[in-house]
Amino acid sequence: MAEIIVVTSGKGGVGKTTSSAAIGTGLALRGFKTVLIDFDVGLRNLDLIMGCERRVVYDFVNVINQEATLNQALIKDKRTDNLFILPASQTRDKDALSVEGVEAVLNELSESFDYIVCDSPAGIEKGAHLALYFADTAIVVTNPEVSSVRDSDRILGVLQSKSRKAEQGETVKEHLLLTRYNPSRVEAGEMLGVEDVKDILAIPLLGVIPESQAVLKASNQGIPVIMDDDSDAGQAYDDAIARFLGEDRDHRFLNVERKGFLSRVFGRKG
Amino acid sequence: MADAKHQVATDNEFQFKSTRASLNELILTCDDIQRLEPQLEAHAARVPMLFSHMPVILNLQALEETPALERVKALLDLCRRLSLVPVGLKADQNDAPELCRTLQLADFSQQRSRPQAPDVPAADAEPKAEPEPKQEPQTEQEPQPSEPVAARVVTTPVRSGQQIYARGTDLIVLSAVSAGAEIIADGHIHVYGPLRGRAMAGVNGNTDARIFCQSMEAELVSIAGYFKTSEDLHSECWQQPTQALLRGSRLDTVSL
Repeated sequence: MAEIIVVTSGKGGVGKTTSSAAIGTGLALRGFKTVLIDFDVGLRNLDLIMGCERRVVYDFVNVINQEATLNQALIKDKRTDNLFILPASQTRDKDALSVEGVEAVLNELSESFDYIVCDSPAGIEKGAHLALYFADTAIVVTNPEVSSVRDSDRILGVLQSKSRKAEQGETVKEHLLLTRYNPSRVEAGEMLGVEDVKDILAIPLLGVIPESQAVLKASNQGIPVIMDDDSDAGQAYDDAIARFLGEDRDHRFLNVERKGFLSRVFGRKG
Repeated sequence: MADAKHQVATDNEFQFKSTRASLNELILTCDDIQRLEPQLEAHAARVPMLFSHMPVILNLQALEETPALERVKALLDLCRRLSLVPVGLKADQNDAPELCRTLQLADFSQQRSRPQAPDVPAADAEPKAEPEPKQEPQTEQEPQPSEPVAARVVTTPVRSGQQIYARGTDLIVLSAVSAGAEIIADGHIHVYGPLRGRAMAGVNGNTDARIFCQSMEAELVSIAGYFKTSEDLHSECWQQPTQALLRGSRLDTVSL
């Protein structure tokens, strides 16, 4: 039985797809057979971030409508063993998804995979609801600003009231992933700090991903940022995966790094 | 004979038991559907959970004269459209029996209505000081301690967008109430985490209801319709353990 993880946020543009790609890749790199599902039907992005957009033939909606088998639609990642991508349809909308259809696909994937990572669309409507409905675990991606935090709070409420686990009287495991964190802006009082966000959302902190040039670069190259070992964001995602799997790691990148004399003189970018 | 009766009673698969349920009255001061409908709809839209299948007594005693049967039917239909469940009627004592018989509703007309103290658990314990009407009261039986209505206890965080309503009782929340969440009770409200959302106590008119919280950071607190917004709360009791209560028509906040 696979563990179903939903990567969700409520608000758009906070880094759900980037995080899904990193988490899926991170789990696969550690040897778990993992599949990434793009639930953002009509606004397909995950394939771009994963760099497999040229190999999309069939998609999630085709499988739901039984126009293709899962094996035809699953794209095997070229870089990472054990990693598969199920892309969203770009020509359809969220109404193409149904509870029964999604359940059938998840059940079939469950038989052969260890982790199913569902990349949720923004919002709280049908697409987002279906992405989280079957989840065992939720990774809530939040930016350190008030509107993102409030939307995450809202989605946590939806998780604990409208998911299948909630309907069965169980709870969905919750993790907070704080992305685009900029310690110097926090210090200047322009951004919420880690503690502020933790105080409002009151769920365990899985990781803090620093705002980083590496993320945009990785997205444009179609390589999950977690594969960029040299970048702070890549390392932070790696820490998050380790914590997710039960390791105890200190949180890094929370404080402003004081530039040393040499890097100031030579103007090396951090 | 008495024995036989007893025998019959024990063989039955039912029993009558006195119970005390909190009932709300819908008091109309106008019977014009055209005017009532938008007003009631607006009210229902604001607190949808308050309206969902809430049993009500339709009170027509404030009207100048009892409306005709057809009009009363239309009023009841309006109630049902808004998910209220009319269970009884209060009307002029001369018209009520006939109306209730035709409409198959219970007749509450002989009960003294207590507009100042609506039936909430807190009021239940009050001794019946008011003079009894001459006729045998049908619902009020010998005073016996009624079972207290247990408060509604919420142990999980109340998230933005969630709405929790404790009908006919108190509400106790053990964790945080987030900004954008709404907690509503007919009785008191207690919040042991930070209160950041909206809290409305005594929503069915109980002016004795209070709101207690460990850290007052609310968007709005309201008791029986009197409210204060976070703007006022900021200068009074922000992030302090606070209780809110009504003094006359003023909502006061007092630090705990």
